[in-house]
Amino acid sequence: MQSANEPALDPGEAGALGASAAGRRWTRLKFQLRFLLAVLRARPMFALGYFIVLTIIILGVFAPLIAPYPPETANPEDFLQLPSGRHLLGTDATGMDIFTRIIYAPRIDLTIAIAGTVISAVVGSLIGALVGYYQEMRGIRAFFAGFVMRAADVLQAFPVFVFAIALVAIFGQSLQSIIAAIAFVNTPIYLRLMRSQVLAIRNMRYVEASYVSGASDVAIMLRHIIPNSLGPILSQLSVNIGWSVLLTAALSFVGAGVVAPTPEWGSMIAVGFQSIITGQWWPSVFPGIALAVTVFGFALVGASVEVLADPSRRRALGGTLRQKPSGAA
Amino acid sequence: MRVLRYVGKRLIFIVPQLFGIILVSFFLVKLIPGDPAVLMLGPFATEEQLEKLRAGMGLQGTVLDQFWIYLTNLVQGDLGTSWQTTQPVLLDLFQRFPATLELITLALLLALVIGIPLGVAAAYFKRSIIKKFSDYYGLLAGALPDFWLGLVLIFFFYTMLDWVPAPLGRLDIALIPPPTVTNFLLIDSVIAGDWQALWSALGRLILPVVTLGVINAGPILKMTQSTMERMLESDFIRYAETCGLPRSVVIRRALRNSLPSIVTIISVLYGFLIGGAVLVEIVFSWGGAGQYAVQGVLNADINPVLGFVLFSAIFSLVIYLIVDLIYFAIDPRIRS
Amino acid sequence: MNPQPAQSEALRGGEQPVSAGQVLRIHGLSVSYPVYGQEPVKAIRDLDLGVRPGEILGLVGESGSGKTTLARAIMGLLARPGRIDGGAVNFDGRDMRALSEEALRAIRGRDIAMIIPNPRGELDPLLTVGRQIAAVARAHLNITRAKAEELALEMLRAVQIPDPKRRFNAYPHELSGGMAQRVVIAMSLVCSPKFIISDDATSGLDVTVQAQVLDLLRALVRDKRTAMMFITRDIGITAHFCDRVAVIYAGEIVELAPTGRFFENPMHPYSVMLLAAFAHNPKLREKWHKPLASLIRSQGKACEYATRCVHVEPQCNATHPELRELEPGHFVRCFVPVLRPA
Repeated sequence: MQSANEPALDPGEAGALGASAAGRRWTRLKFQLRFLLAVLRARPMFALGYFIVLTIIILGVFAPLIAPYPPETANPEDFLQLPSGRHLLGTDATGMDIFTRIIYAPRIDLTIAIAGTVISAVVGSLIGALVGYYQEMRGIRAFFAGFVMRAADVLQAFPVFVFAIALVAIFGQSLQSIIAAIAFVNTPIYLRLMRSQVLAIRNMRYVEASYVSGASDVAIMLRHIIPNSLGPILSQLSVNIGWSVLLTAALSFVGAGVVAPTPEWGSMIAVGFQSIITGQWWPSVFPGIALAVTVFGFALVGASVEVLADPSRRRALGGTLRQKPSGAA
Repeated sequence: MRVLRYVGKRLIFIVPQLFGIILVSFFLVKLIPGDPAVLMLGPFATEEQLEKLRAGMGLQGTVLDQFWIYLTNLVQGDLGTSWQTTQPVLLDLFQRFPATLELITLALLLALVIGIPLGVAAAYFKRSIIKKFSDYYGLLAGALPDFWLGLVLIFFFYTMLDWVPAPLGRLDIALIPPPTVTNFLLIDSVIAGDWQALWSALGRLILPVVTLGVINAGPILKMTQSTMERMLESDFIRYAETCGLPRSVVIRRALRNSLPSIVTIISVLYGFLIGGAVLVEIVFSWGGAGQYAVQGVLNADINPVLGFVLFSAIFSLVIYLIVDLIYFAIDPRIRS
Repeated sequence: MNPQPAQSEALRGGEQPVSAGQVLRIHGLSVSYPVYGQEPVKAIRDLDLGVRPGEILGLVGESGSGKTTLARAIMGLLARPGRIDGGAVNFDGRDMRALSEEALRAIRGRDIAMIIPNPRGELDPLLTVGRQIAAVARAHLNITRAKAEELALEMLRAVQIPDPKRRFNAYPHELSGGMAQRVVIAMSLVCSPKFIISDDATSGLDVTVQAQVLDLLRALVRDKRTAMMFITRDIGITAHFCDRVAVIYAGEIVELAPTGRFFENPMHPYSVMLLAAFAHNPKLREKWHKPLASLIRSQGKACEYATRCVHVEPQCNATHPELRELEPGHFVRCFVPVLRPA
């Protein structure tokens, strides 16, 4: 119903109207921006997600300009100060300003989480695509595909958290090794996701048609399979980044992640742990809220990507947006 | 009879699976730097003493030799000794595994009690406040760090209100634990008729169970809701509506058809929590299995880690087997 | 053509679309589906129709003509976002639109039953068919479980399922399509309803099985003087099966006649086209079929069929035709009806 009556909302058609290549690109971009704004108006929760993620990133990037105190300098005279005008969110047991450390923390937490998740998504999707593509064929490649899946089974049988700690212990406690550990434990997720996507798409008629018309494996993968399976992967990626932030914090909380004076939410919660029993709640509670809000933001972004990456759901959303965006939330 | 054949087929695969897990984890853990002999005897030990200790711990020769020694011991039911507790790992695990199981079983029960009714209600009343609430609950539960929630609960209910005992283990230190039978404190104190111990154990379970339960209700809620929504839209439920069946019957049928998905998510959570509850265990000084393994990793104490991995793998496999049996009981299409 | 002789006395005379003595009377019913930012789609417009006890009324139309919407509107089960804009549905002296959801629930399955296509997908896969039939009986008849199961078994026998005792404990996936269809018929008849809606019920079956199921259904309905609305896309079935035929197009009845009259002299160009398509006669088809240009709805200012009609006259595009009685009991919504056999 809706799709037939809204040519203006199709980026392809809107683009085709532009005359020159540059003009077309500009029309397309303008269209996409307008569409994005319309979506955000209709689904304020999505807007909140993007707002949270952007804010956290900006705070992290500009922390040195915003933060009122140095992040790693102890000031024993000012220990365990209640939140006040001087210390917005109070100070911890060594007198470090909690607000400062909270806005410095995304530098570590987001770097680890994003790097680890992106690595695992790239590696896992590639392997998963190959496994899914060759699994149902015969010969040595199918054998390897089967072997990879069994290996993934065994890896996933490990308790995730203990596995991650063991990996950090093996590689030594450094930023790179935490990234590696997070990438490692996440890889099977993408491997499986991509494999199931490929298996489903592979048997579609249009893929068969292009196989019959003599397209090579690489061409089929690049043209049909990867573009069609990207949506779920991207959505998973965003949710997964939030989850990796949690894992990073958890590793630091048990002392297997980032080491103490470095500002990081998990280790801040761990440091504040001692004080909470005696009633000083702020050193633990504020970093925890920052952590939860961040993960929440990434989850919302993931939910929006899931909708926007699916053409039919995007259309449906676009259709409801067309004239009365106020009633569509 | 079909059930037996089905279970038998599953059991045959368990042995190679377990072997794979032990193999990988052995070499993985071996990569962790640190020589337990040095750690045990300190920096002033002579090379002779170290060699002797290593031999005693099955630590000489190549890695392959060591793996062979570990395997032969394992077959005899010997999981080695932890140098931290100086006890056999098997004995340690028999004490700590029940502690974790008691915690996560109760937590999952709580999660079920929260998640399933809320999910069903949210799916049935699609335009209600309940639906909105459960949407936010799902997102929020996924975002909260459990160890942090545990701390916040301790702050409110112990530090501020003093409604619950101090977060220091499973039983009041002043109490003598009931005689060990199962190592599940609740069960042991009931067996011994020690109501004081039971009361104390229950009081100490409240906060960690609430922490884990509230957070793990999220995925159960989401799964229940999405599956129920799908079922309520399905042809056979629509037909049940045209037959004028009472609302309760309609909901019961939809829920019954959603059970396989719900059971699956519960089993996944159960397997995950064996190790995943470790942070909450640390916060509440629980002395559970996850904590034991994490201490092992951090101190190059190999045997506890291997033992833990083995135990939790077996536990997960048993859970999955039970899940398959539940499918078997629910769905006639699998039976035939 | 071999029409079934009409059963009811009234049918030989000029049975009106809606008249007293009918168990179901639909008056001026309008249903629409709102579309965001556009005019709502009118799925049923100002529709009058009634069914007498013991009568089988055929309702023929193409996909999207409003057949299923009508069925669901009668039962008060209109799918979101559809809504009833006006009109009355009177069933057995009760105003269905005024009833509460709980009251409707009590009527559905008890007094009005529905038979649907693809029966295997419509049965709960986790329950035996016997228990599903018994559940309907127990929901409406205030009887014990044992009694309900006895009744269910009796119904399985009545629909001539071979080895009913064994089938009672069968799961839906263990049945063939025809068998499942019989189970659904048993389920719809278990409470001896006054009115049955069959919505395209036999469309998924083999032709031979279809004939068996239809014969069985007719025998059961005649036996208990149940009224029935038989919705189908296959105009051929109605010739053998129904007492009266109603043709629905774009949510309106365009022709309504006793079966014999209808097949002797279909008067609406659309009816003729449907019959021509069914007859597999290329000449006839060419004569009556016009390629579908567009389905622009006339918004009540013209004949809905004008865009597809081969006999368009100026007034067809200017005025909306009313349903007229051109011979006793034969109603046509057309300015230029086909008065000779095609």
